[in-house]
Amino acid sequence: MMKSNHTLNVMLTVYVILIFMFIFAPIIFSMIFSFNSQRFPTIPLGHFSTEWYQKILADPDVWDAARNSLIVSSCTAAVATFLGFCTAYSDYRYNFRFKGPYLALILLPPTIPLIIMALAMLAWFSKIGMSGQIYSIIIAHSVLTAPFAMAVIRLRLSQMDPDLEAAAWNLGGSEWATMRHVIIPFCKPAIFSGLFLTAAVSFDEFAVSWFVSGLNKTLPVMILEIVQGNIDPQVNAIGTFVFFISMTLVVLAQIFFASRQMKSF
Amino acid sequence: MPISTGRSTKIYALTWRLPIIIWQFFFFVGPVLFMVAMSFFLVKNYRMTEAFEFINWYKMLTRGYFWDSYKYTILISMVSTVCAMGLAFPAAFALAFSASETTRRWAIFLLIIPFFTSYLVRTFSWFVILSEGGVVNAVLGHIGLGPYTMLNTHFGTLVGYMTLTLPLVLILQTVTMSNIDKTLIEAARNLGCKPLATIWQVIIPLSKTGLIIAGIFCFILSFGDFVAPFYLGGSQETTLPILILDTTKSGQQWPRAAVVAIMMMATLFAIAFTGIAIAYRKRKGA
Amino acid sequence: MSDALVIFDKVQKKFGKFVAVKELSFEIYEGEFLAIMGPSGCGKTTTLRMLAGLEAPSFGEIHLKGKVMNDVPPHERDTPLVWQSLALFPFLSTRENVEFGLKMRGVGKAERKERALKWLDKVGILDFADREISTLSGGQKQRVALARSLVMEPQILLLDEPLSALDAHLVIRMQAVLTNLQRELGITFVYVTHSQSEAFAMADRVVIMDEGEIAQIGKPKDIYREPANQFVAEFVGRNNILSGTVASFERSTALISTSSGSFTVPTNSVQLTKGQNTSFVISADLVHISLEKPASINAVYCKLISEEFVGSMVTLFLEGAEGSRI
Repeated sequence: MMKSNHTLNVMLTVYVILIFMFIFAPIIFSMIFSFNSQRFPTIPLGHFSTEWYQKILADPDVWDAARNSLIVSSCTAAVATFLGFCTAYSDYRYNFRFKGPYLALILLPPTIPLIIMALAMLAWFSKIGMSGQIYSIIIAHSVLTAPFAMAVIRLRLSQMDPDLEAAAWNLGGSEWATMRHVIIPFCKPAIFSGLFLTAAVSFDEFAVSWFVSGLNKTLPVMILEIVQGNIDPQVNAIGTFVFFISMTLVVLAQIFFASRQMKSF
Repeated sequence: MPISTGRSTKIYALTWRLPIIIWQFFFFVGPVLFMVAMSFFLVKNYRMTEAFEFINWYKMLTRGYFWDSYKYTILISMVSTVCAMGLAFPAAFALAFSASETTRRWAIFLLIIPFFTSYLVRTFSWFVILSEGGVVNAVLGHIGLGPYTMLNTHFGTLVGYMTLTLPLVLILQTVTMSNIDKTLIEAARNLGCKPLATIWQVIIPLSKTGLIIAGIFCFILSFGDFVAPFYLGGSQETTLPILILDTTKSGQQWPRAAVVAIMMMATLFAIAFTGIAIAYRKRKGA
Repeated sequence: MSDALVIFDKVQKKFGKFVAVKELSFEIYEGEFLAIMGPSGCGKTTTLRMLAGLEAPSFGEIHLKGKVMNDVPPHERDTPLVWQSLALFPFLSTRENVEFGLKMRGVGKAERKERALKWLDKVGILDFADREISTLSGGQKQRVALARSLVMEPQILLLDEPLSALDAHLVIRMQAVLTNLQRELGITFVYVTHSQSEAFAMADRVVIMDEGEIAQIGKPKDIYREPANQFVAEFVGRNNILSGTVASFERSTALISTSSGSFTVPTNSVQLTKGQNTSFVISADLVHISLEKPASINAVYCKLISEEFVGSMVTLFLEGAEGSRI
């Protein structure tokens, strides 16, 4: 009995490792390939090279796309986190009629396939004359990412002592002053967390951006278009670059998340 | 916390409630409703004119290729769901029941990473790894196997779907199963339930809701993804997302793309609601 | 104890269909220490929250210093509350917590600091002024909460079960701190608690509530000696309640026969008729226990079943002749 349990455990462990290898293989290989001299990488690998990085750094289109991506993700983060905060606070503080539909309004977009959102946004933006602009991407991304900010901030609010807000009123703070001096300071870590999280999601999104961006390509749209052409290891270099930016944002979000856990004790 | 309902209090409440309503009505409800309306528009000389005609619906729904694509997309998404759920289950089981708390937390942290790495880059990476002269075939060649054609096949498409869905499914399954009260499992074992029977009789029923939700997410993701079938499946068979893409990008036939999109959404809602209904039905009896 | 500082005039509070407080009318005098006591769910906290403006009464009026307060928002009242959960701001230091109310009232920085430090000193935690709230002990947090409210220098201080989270020995210490502060400052304290010992140890007057209604108001000693009804008696004394019928009565005493024997009980001003079912209480501090056979009146011969120690008190469970338990 004990022995079969032991073998079973070993097998399960090996299996878990295999699954994780499958999940991380494309990420790791992409990084390796980005430093590999071969145009068409295989085993054995070619020699170490920064050729692809030099190439992308010299390409003004890449710089343009990077700039667009940065603008889009930072503006998206600001708008989405603001919307997320308002909704999280409304949900935390109030009970009102149609609260269910109200919450569905913000939570639904991520459950709809991106390709459909992309088509709907494209059609709507051309109808109202807002298509093909950087702000079109920002608006679309804010709709898609606001729920993430809302979730993080709502979680934080649920950790708040329910008497805290009333305590501030009781000490002479109006609702506005309480918002400024109590609710926002309390939610600050979650607000930062939400900012980085939404920025990271926006930074990686390609389907909607591709449809509504017009000529203002972001980095993922650029990758999409390069990949459509042929095999070009530049993609790996850009991908690795994007990966590190995204991961930095996520790690920053995590640090704020962790610091708030500590502070709540 | 209802306090005295003065006017300033109402203004305050609305300040937080209204932004999302206005924003989402204008940029979420608006686009979706417009897409529905658009499916009745006409296209003449590559220009869309507003109308209320059923021609697009008729044209799409009477075409064999639409229904072929519809059936294929549902089929491959179901296969993808079964694969992802089946592949993830033993790993989630191990993480939930034999791994330590710390290992589990690290595993979940690691599983979040893929969400923030470009899915496109990961797909491209598979493209290179799986190609005929790629890493996998090179390794297999050393032990005298292959080369196998893996790209532009259903297998390629599935690898892409797994890349997209496996991390999420694994997270959801692990979290669901680690929330099961361990004493219930011990009780079942104590009452003479064999290990495999314990999984079927105790663990799966207890984590049913979470498992079904994981399945629904997996189906939605596969159903709506165009990258995997396009790049790794080589558009062998056209899935609905690819159909939308082609119709929109090349033909300027936005209204027909809208028909496809609406059909997809209707299908997804039907499947999601059925799934959720099943997930929560038996719970009441328990 | 002269003028009424607060008047509750037929105040009622409903939450949906549930009536939390039914037609409450009472007065709170200037400078008194009033305890509102009752089991959980009796409406005592709701009463306090209505006074602070955190709940609006459904009917009736609340007057504070002669003004109707119903439509005054909480931040415009001067009724600082010490919360059961303390509700200290976790992202502020001790001193910043105490300064909070002054800041909201627009008091300048230098004065804020000076007044905060003065009050931290008064409650004995000046040394912790710059500490994070999370690093303080339960008793210290309690004092911060107290200082945060008192720094407003209000005429009335509301306290909602502030000691319920503390260890027993700290409770006694804080009780002393509270009563001393109240005497020294001469302001009104309204203290909500479910603990009889806290209320009786500190309060000048006690309001006992039951299911949204006032069961009795009075000085602790009066309530203890003369509970108005069985609920109060049970709530206050917990035991030594005997039921029986009135066998006979004179001007100031009645002979009541119970299953444990007959007792002569002072009737005070209660009107009784012969044969009426009634119950009475024997205060624990008036019970004498002896191993000898009872000879005098008002005595019962019992068997000791078990005993229970709570602090310095002993509760004896005794069984009388016919199996009735006391």
